[in-house]
Amino acid sequence: MLADIDLVVDADEFLLVCGPSGSGKSTLCRTFNGLIPHFHNGELRGDIRVAGKSAKSQTVGDLFRHVGMVFQDPETQLFNGTVEQEIAFGLESLGLPRREIARRIYESAARVDIPDLLRRNPHELSGGEQQLVSIAAVLAHRPSLIVLDEPYANLDPFHVHQVRETLRTIHQSGIGVVICEHRLSYTLPDVHRIVVLDKGRIVSDAPPHDLVSLDMEHYGLELPLAVRVGKRLGLKPVPLDIHEIVALPSDMSALNDLKPQTPAPLPHGAPSALVVENLSFSIGGKPILRDINFTLAKGECLAIVGANGAGKTVLLKHLNGIFRPSQGRVAVMGKDTRETKTSQLARLIGIAFQNPNNQFFKLTVIEEIEVGAKALGCYDRSWIMELVALLHLEPLLDRAPFRLSGGEKKRVAFAAALAARPAILALDEPTAGQGWYFRRALGRLLTRLRDRGQSLILVTHDLAFAEAHAHRWLVLAEGEVIARGRPGEVMGNKQALERAHLEPTDAHRLWGGEAKKMNIEQRTSNIE
Amino acid sequence: MTTTIIKKLDPRTKLVLTFFYAAWVVGAGGYGWLVSAFTLLAAFIGFTGRFKEYVRWLRLVLPMSIFFGAVIWWTANLSEAGFAALKLLTLTSVFFAFFTTTLPEDLANALVKAGLPYPVAFVLSTSLQFVPVMSRKVKNIMDAQRARGIPLEPGWAALRHYPAFLSPVLIQAFQLAEALAEAMESRGFGLTGRTFLKEFRMTPGDWMAMSAGLALLLVLFFFM
Repeated sequence: MLADIDLVVDADEFLLVCGPSGSGKSTLCRTFNGLIPHFHNGELRGDIRVAGKSAKSQTVGDLFRHVGMVFQDPETQLFNGTVEQEIAFGLESLGLPRREIARRIYESAARVDIPDLLRRNPHELSGGEQQLVSIAAVLAHRPSLIVLDEPYANLDPFHVHQVRETLRTIHQSGIGVVICEHRLSYTLPDVHRIVVLDKGRIVSDAPPHDLVSLDMEHYGLELPLAVRVGKRLGLKPVPLDIHEIVALPSDMSALNDLKPQTPAPLPHGAPSALVVENLSFSIGGKPILRDINFTLAKGECLAIVGANGAGKTVLLKHLNGIFRPSQGRVAVMGKDTRETKTSQLARLIGIAFQNPNNQFFKLTVIEEIEVGAKALGCYDRSWIMELVALLHLEPLLDRAPFRLSGGEKKRVAFAAALAARPAILALDEPTAGQGWYFRRALGRLLTRLRDRGQSLILVTHDLAFAEAHAHRWLVLAEGEVIARGRPGEVMGNKQALERAHLEPTDAHRLWGGEAKKMNIEQRTSNIE
Repeated sequence: MTTTIIKKLDPRTKLVLTFFYAAWVVGAGGYGWLVSAFTLLAAFIGFTGRFKEYVRWLRLVLPMSIFFGAVIWWTANLSEAGFAALKLLTLTSVFFAFFTTTLPEDLANALVKAGLPYPVAFVLSTSLQFVPVMSRKVKNIMDAQRARGIPLEPGWAALRHYPAFLSPVLIQAFQLAEALAEAMESRGFGLTGRTFLKEFRMTPGDWMAMSAGLALLLVLFFFM
């Protein structure tokens, strides 16, 4: 899985390890604290030296105090009843006296800015807060290095921001940080050195500015917009973050192919596929959704955006009857969800939820795709074959769904959702945790589906993706719709974005209102 | 006042007292004794402020007790059936009272002090914690299957489509276990010489409570 890795990491570096899915990033991470070779089976040739000593002759128990590890899934790495106990756990393992443990708990919590969470149950916190707790827990060991395996994969932009800030502060205090990620826009501006892995080998090891001349797309990585614009305009040094671009030429037509192609608005009077009227929903007296109104036109792609916890998934579950409104109504292709069974609504709206592992139970991909359609009595073999072609699933048909890669699993889940040929397809966070290849392939799929008149709903906090593929946006915050309209309009509404904990996309910053301001300043300064 | 006394007791004391109460329930000599045991317990749960939770829990446990009683009725008679059902209900309620007044990790901590190996105590306290996590996963699995037309409604009907339910649940459980194991290993689980943040020590009050409990139990057995 890894071959010929020669790597030296100093104690105060800020390193990014990136590469396409399956390149060995996670495997490499796990060698840093001894999980490989001691916890996972396999053969290790060569050596890893951590803090001057060989990892082969030490156990994870010896190494973990020097190298703290934070894993990808926020929920499954917390196993204590309170945050306080969670931070204490590693210190208890080290056999430290109680007073020292108590002192370090408060110190860690303060450094990560979570002192008010100490008495809370970790499983009741948001994903971002959970990641901060994990960071605090490993920080308490006073390691020389912290390694994070895809820390941003399950977080919304607001929490990504929080965790990034925390990591910067930690690095400044003298602790080394190693991040494994493929989202370059979140990491490029922060790190000092980037190692690119491909098929288990290091193909590049250089500072960020040197990296930008590498053909990243070949390695399944997407350079942030700022870098691509900078390269095109010949800016030096190449900007790593959109805020570093302070002046733009008045003629930006050279950059047109980098601009996201938001689909043109649909003609007025298109029939509606979905109508949501005055929808309110509470659980146990607590309001989750408040007075939601919107329609989805046939052939339209609507993006429902908002931070985690805003109610997006709950709203989605109203569309096929999993939840029934406390007040108001939802009509899918004319059928009221309060009067129709979920199994019948599934013929009209297919929903693919975020975790494809929640639905796989057949031995082959083709059976997995067909089972829903057969259960609904909508089985149409020629349509299924068309779907398979559309999603490039031919080579995978006889494979076991559980053994596929993350991106392949998602494609199978999408095919399963479309198998009964529903008029509406809804996707819940389709791009979460996925790399550039997948996002591009999904984009192409959505375009083709739109051309065929499929109505689409995207629930996502990936605004860049929503900008490129949705006709309209609906912004959800605390269970209410606080803004709606074309992507450009919505992103121009600063108050709404702030309330929803969202930020405009880099493309909007460049081509939206702010860019025009920049152009005017440029021209006036030229005159002077 | 009752709650502060309870808070001050060592988890081991609470466990011993729980077993004493359970012994009384098991040895109850007749309906009179059993009903008083049950009522006393319900009053106690009310005192600790957990009555609402108890009623919700009862809704789940009551069908089981009734089913148990029905089985006894089939083999014996109605009076014995009622007695058996009430006994089961009271017994489980005793342990409910215990678990709602003791944090699982405090119990595990105290048991380690009493000599239980740490990994065993850890399994006890941690597994309880993941019950809500797993039930959320189960709910998401059922929602995902229903969304594509496989009717997994909550309840017994889901058993008909059990592969659609069981496979994802088992696999997710295993994945959870593996991820957890990695995380635990990465924070030194299994090292010897572990210390604890919370220190539990038996006070004279604990010993007094246990002796009083034992004395009361012996008196009750004498009379029953």
